[in-house]
Amino acid sequence: MLLDIIFNAFNGLIVGSFYALMAIGLSLILGLNGVINFAHGGFMALAAYLAFTLVPYVGFWGALVIAPILAGGVGYVVEQLVVRRLYLRDPLYSLLATFGLALIFQDLLRTIWGAQGLPLAIPDFLNQPVSSTYFFVTGYRLFVVALAIISTAGLFAILRFTRLGVRIRAGNKDLETISAVGVNIYLLRSANFVLGIMFAGLAGILAAGQLGLTPTMGDSLIMPSFVAIVVGGVGSLLGSLLGGLIIGVASGVTTAFFPAASEVVIYLIMGVMLIVRPRGLFGQEGLFE
Amino acid sequence: MPDHEIGRRGLLKAGAGASAAGLLLPRLGWSASDNPVKIGQVDSTTGNFAVLGQSQIKGAALAAHELNAAGGILGRPVQILVEDDAGLPATGLDKAGRLLNADNVDFFIGTVSSAVSLSLSQFAQKNNKVFMCSGGHVDKLTGAACNWATFRVCSTTWILTQGDSKTLVDKFGKKWYFLTTDYAFGHSEQADYTKQVTGYGGTIVGGALVPVGTSDFSSYLIQAKAASPDVLCLLLAGDDQINAMKQITQFGLNNSMKVGGALFELEQIAALPEAARYGVWTFEWYWNQPGVPHVADFVKRYNTMFPGLYPSQRSWFGYVSVHALALAATQAKSVDSMAVAKALEGLTLPPEIALQPGAPTFRAEDHQLLLGMFPGEVNQTGTYPNLMNIYDYVPGASIALPADQTGCKLTYPS
Repeated sequence: MLLDIIFNAFNGLIVGSFYALMAIGLSLILGLNGVINFAHGGFMALAAYLAFTLVPYVGFWGALVIAPILAGGVGYVVEQLVVRRLYLRDPLYSLLATFGLALIFQDLLRTIWGAQGLPLAIPDFLNQPVSSTYFFVTGYRLFVVALAIISTAGLFAILRFTRLGVRIRAGNKDLETISAVGVNIYLLRSANFVLGIMFAGLAGILAAGQLGLTPTMGDSLIMPSFVAIVVGGVGSLLGSLLGGLIIGVASGVTTAFFPAASEVVIYLIMGVMLIVRPRGLFGQEGLFE
Repeated sequence: MPDHEIGRRGLLKAGAGASAAGLLLPRLGWSASDNPVKIGQVDSTTGNFAVLGQSQIKGAALAAHELNAAGGILGRPVQILVEDDAGLPATGLDKAGRLLNADNVDFFIGTVSSAVSLSLSQFAQKNNKVFMCSGGHVDKLTGAACNWATFRVCSTTWILTQGDSKTLVDKFGKKWYFLTTDYAFGHSEQADYTKQVTGYGGTIVGGALVPVGTSDFSSYLIQAKAASPDVLCLLLAGDDQINAMKQITQFGLNNSMKVGGALFELEQIAALPEAARYGVWTFEWYWNQPGVPHVADFVKRYNTMFPGLYPSQRSWFGYVSVHALALAATQAKSVDSMAVAKALEGLTLPPEIALQPGAPTFRAEDHQLLLGMFPGEVNQTGTYPNLMNIYDYVPGASIALPADQTGCKLTYPS
């Protein structure tokens, strides 16, 4: 039984790091653009389908690089046409608009690639367990964890050490002031949105490698990332990371005792967090309070 | 989102729209004044069951096309109005209400999710319309929850599990572990398997209920592995099954235990990479039945109407649903639901619609079609549509629960 719990906790960390990867793009956009992007799952699925189409030409690795960039391009267009118009409005508008976008994406994918599930081929050497005892640690899952760590570290580096990053962080704190000192905040927000979408794209492709492609795949992936953000704290990237890991482990360990509750436990955690500490672990004071 | 007529939905689909719409409209010979017999099809075109629902819609469309080419039902054209239930009972009921009140449909067909089937069954009874359930398997639909208005084409979970339970025990072992989808269909399947497997001397060493729409099965699989069963029995539905199979393969669990179960469909196998295609399952119909009359011709007609696609069991469900209603209406000389229901009782499908060695009959006592089962093993190295090696054909009447044990008591309104 103890081994069981350790296995499940370990497995939860793997799952959680994936949640975290998904949540970070969402958190980035929520922070600077102030938009709760319900279409995030749609972008994930879009990038995954693009990767599916690209794999025969450029291989899995090529697709893993190119597809998120293409999705970022689509993200740029969407930002220009739709999201940009929402910045000064009530948050309800952005909820409705991005929810509509999510539905559009889903039907678009269904129209182009069909409702039938499709397999996304991953390199064979990743597709097997690393050891027979730890059968649930496959090469691919290790790879996902590694990539989650690398890209999160990369993002932190961008935010810490580049001019763009400094501006994004400053904008998060006080958009009006950085606008007043001459930063083009429209451009900044576009860049930030595209960056967030590229993260979504990366997460989408990684998910598809394990789960395959369906037009609705974004829906089932997006909910845990919302929970991760609320638990970790809106506006805090570190919080999103931690939030993802916490719900991953909680859900994993619950499975060892009461499998049917493994899904509901993450919402319970979110509920408790909203009551006890509405801003989340590392959230900005005032949000939701 | 009103996806009102199938033609419009078809237009959205992959450019095949033009031909699909043409086929679904009444043919040119009908004048505008012809009053069509309207069949409301509540089925999934989005959600977890979308792929299966689409196949049922295609099968029904082919049947309507054939009926119209041959003079319709009682000289009236057949029109199928499709609404999307998204796999949700509330949505299904809402759409059924619209079909009844706005479109005045004569009958209902469709549904993949057992939960939707059960609620639509009650709706149909309340509104005195026949509901020909195409694809929801839960036992009690033609058991304790049966009613005079509801008939079912696909099997009960009892018939489905009987299709291969003995094979699985004999071939693979007596220690079973279940991964079961957490709603009516899964519960019903697990109860049936448990009864059958223990009857054959097997034991149930554990199991987990999995919420619908689960994408990550890793934690469940850790539990399953810890129980070290001989047979890992998957009772999942829709896209969940695909996700589970992929992860079982990635974890290498299929090397230490045998994987099998009741329902695994052509559409699902097609969506899996080769490494994740394996196991013993039961099909309720299969397109490749050498030597059985009419089957090859049916496949050809389906191919013509939907290029590149082969009929799955879901296509056959949709096809039979419409034809059975037409046969009964013709026999009753009426489209009145009560008269059609009476005519459906005991109706035996003719060979060109049964499309299998046996002759399935709608049992009068519970309105269940006693269709045959096609247990078999996934053809791992095959390419679409050659994805299954069928072992056997098991006539439904030989494995169905006797009518007096289903718990069904039918009463007609006076």
